Amino acid sequence: MENAMVRVEGLQKSFWDESRGEIRAVDGIDFDCRPGEIFGLLGANGAGKTTTLRMLATILKPTGGRASLNGHDVLAEPEAVRRSLGFFSASTALYPRLTGRETLEFFARINQYPPDRVAERVDSLIDRFGIAEYANARVEKLSSGMKQKISIARTIAHDPPILIFDEPTVGLDVMAAIEMQRVVGELRDEGKTIIFSTHIMSEAEKLCDRIGIIHRGRILALGTLDEHRQATGQHYLEDIFVHYVAATGAGGGAAAAIGAPGPGESGQ
Amino acid sequence: MNWQDVWTLYRRELRSAFRERTIVVNSILMPVFLYPVMMWVMFTGLMFVSGLTDRAHSRVVLLDAPRNHPVLMDTLENRENVELRDQISADSAVSLIRIGELDALVEFAPPGAEGDKLADNFQVAISYDRAVARSRRASDRIEAIVDNYREEWVDSEAAELGIAGAEREQFRIVQENVSSDEQMGALLLGMMIPLFLVLMVALGCFIPAIDSTAGERERSTWETLMTVSASRLSVVTAKYLYVATVGIMAGVLNVTAVFLSLGAIMAPLLAEAGDQFQFTLPFLALPVMIVAAISLALFFAAAMMILASFARSFKDGQAMVTPVYWLALLPIVLGQQTDQTLTPMIAAIPVANAAMMIRDAINGVFLWPLMAETLVVLLVMVALCLMLARMVLQFEDLLMGSFDGSFWRFAKERLLNRNGKKTAGAKQGVV
Repeated sequence: MENAMVRVEGLQKSFWDESRGEIRAVDGIDFDCRPGEIFGLLGANGAGKTTTLRMLATILKPTGGRASLNGHDVLAEPEAVRRSLGFFSASTALYPRLTGRETLEFFARINQYPPDRVAERVDSLIDRFGIAEYANARVEKLSSGMKQKISIARTIAHDPPILIFDEPTVGLDVMAAIEMQRVVGELRDEGKTIIFSTHIMSEAEKLCDRIGIIHRGRILALGTLDEHRQATGQHYLEDIFVHYVAATGAGGGAAAAIGAPGPGESGQ
Repeated sequence: MNWQDVWTLYRRELRSAFRERTIVVNSILMPVFLYPVMMWVMFTGLMFVSGLTDRAHSRVVLLDAPRNHPVLMDTLENRENVELRDQISADSAVSLIRIGELDALVEFAPPGAEGDKLADNFQVAISYDRAVARSRRASDRIEAIVDNYREEWVDSEAAELGIAGAEREQFRIVQENVSSDEQMGALLLGMMIPLFLVLMVALGCFIPAIDSTAGERERSTWETLMTVSASRLSVVTAKYLYVATVGIMAGVLNVTAVFLSLGAIMAPLLAEAGDQFQFTLPFLALPVMIVAAISLALFFAAAMMILASFARSFKDGQAMVTPVYWLALLPIVLGQQTDQTLTPMIAAIPVANAAMMIRDAINGVFLWPLMAETLVVLLVMVALCLMLARMVLQFEDLLMGSFDGSFWRFAKERLLNRNGKKTAGAKQGVV
């Protein structure tokens, strides 16, 4: 893909475990993401979604393959990658003793937003997320819904072109999850490249322009929902997912059997 | 490393820290108020207890009191803190002393063969229970009264025989303290300030070191921090400088508070007790103390952060870092040897060297080559700690907090392990 904002080629991550030996958490995955699209990474718990996204965010280093974001290689230019990226996950909490405003200022500055425009940017985020009422209260005093809004604002404080949301609705109530989905949709409409990982099928169906199905560290299939439907003959994403996973269980080379992309291909 | 990033991160750490009650209490309020107040309370308490002790009665039984020494008997009977009990047998009195119902038995007896030369001479045997403070005090009181009386009595007897006091004594020991009040003050400052400075710098670093590592993991802000565009080195440097800053602050605040309270609280109290102290510091002692505080803080911050980085929670962190705090105390024992000054050997012992350097400076002793050796040793220790930190942080699982074990297990399995297979995939150059 020519204009890919995110390019992943044969990405691997292995861990060593005393009792189990080498564990391949991510086993050579490939995908690309375009500007203004939401790319969904759909998989069960332990499939390798978070490890993949952590490698893209340069939190973890790949043990094989390559990945670049906004033209910056994750190994060679980790700081430039992180400047181009906003990362949101259930384990990226806020500093409890800072106020919402201080939080946004800090993340804008540390992610190299132009210093002379930080105050203006913070004000616009406070307006956008409707958090003016409690922007000067310490985060530790806020409700989880309020924290969630500040957390999303924090993720985009430096206006990055790429956003990663790793299971962002886990633990949220229905209304908060819907609000999160609305914000993610808005960000896509603004032209951001979004990688959205989830194990909730309805969420992926509703939000994602393309969906990669990941299982045991491998991408089993990648395409739009319609393409997945055509490939599997199933209508609902839940059935599509089960179809792909069952195919790997049948023992055949899963990727080949369902037409998943080979290394360096986008799957389109 | 980008110093602008370090500054932004450093300010964030400090801002959060000064809103955390535990850090404010441990690193600011305790150094400023606790020890000076504790010192005042202890001294006042000691004076109070001493006053109570002076007024407490000693219960005494006298046996065979000499009739020819009525003045001695009057003194014993009229002494406010001596209560003479009815006469009983010696055995009964000893039994009562053993069960704590009597404090001392005083038995007068004729002198031995040598003492017989002086008419009306006598000897005194005091039975008491050395294991009981009240009984010991009773014995001391009786001994002092009898000694005092005997001195006066011998003087008067000698005078009647025409022997002057000086002739009778032959020689007399006279002590004179040639120390000035300032030197006495320096002695006390030299004992207290190095101890407080080392302890407070270590205490100041303690909570921030845990809070900025294990605390971040516990609050789930560690991963948030790992996604900012600042380099890992900038993040670690900012944290390190923050921990050291709080340590320095705690040390300097405490020493200032101790110094001021010694002058304002202790000096008047000591003067009341009959001791004259004047608390002043040589001008050069101030920069020496500041340099020592900075070096100690850099050392403690590095050592504590390395250990705290193995903890997954604040509680784990406390358990892992506490040994450093106690280890810091051991070398200070050397600093309490009051006649010792900095030597090449002591200058080579981290922490002890700084404590000794401070004490020397307070006493106006500036051994510049040995002070330079002290600083070099401390800075080498800091460099070693930072090198170790760099090695440790190259392991991804440790950086991410997924390593489940202590520093010792890590050192055994990773740093000392020659089997490359086991570490494959774990070590990823990060910083």
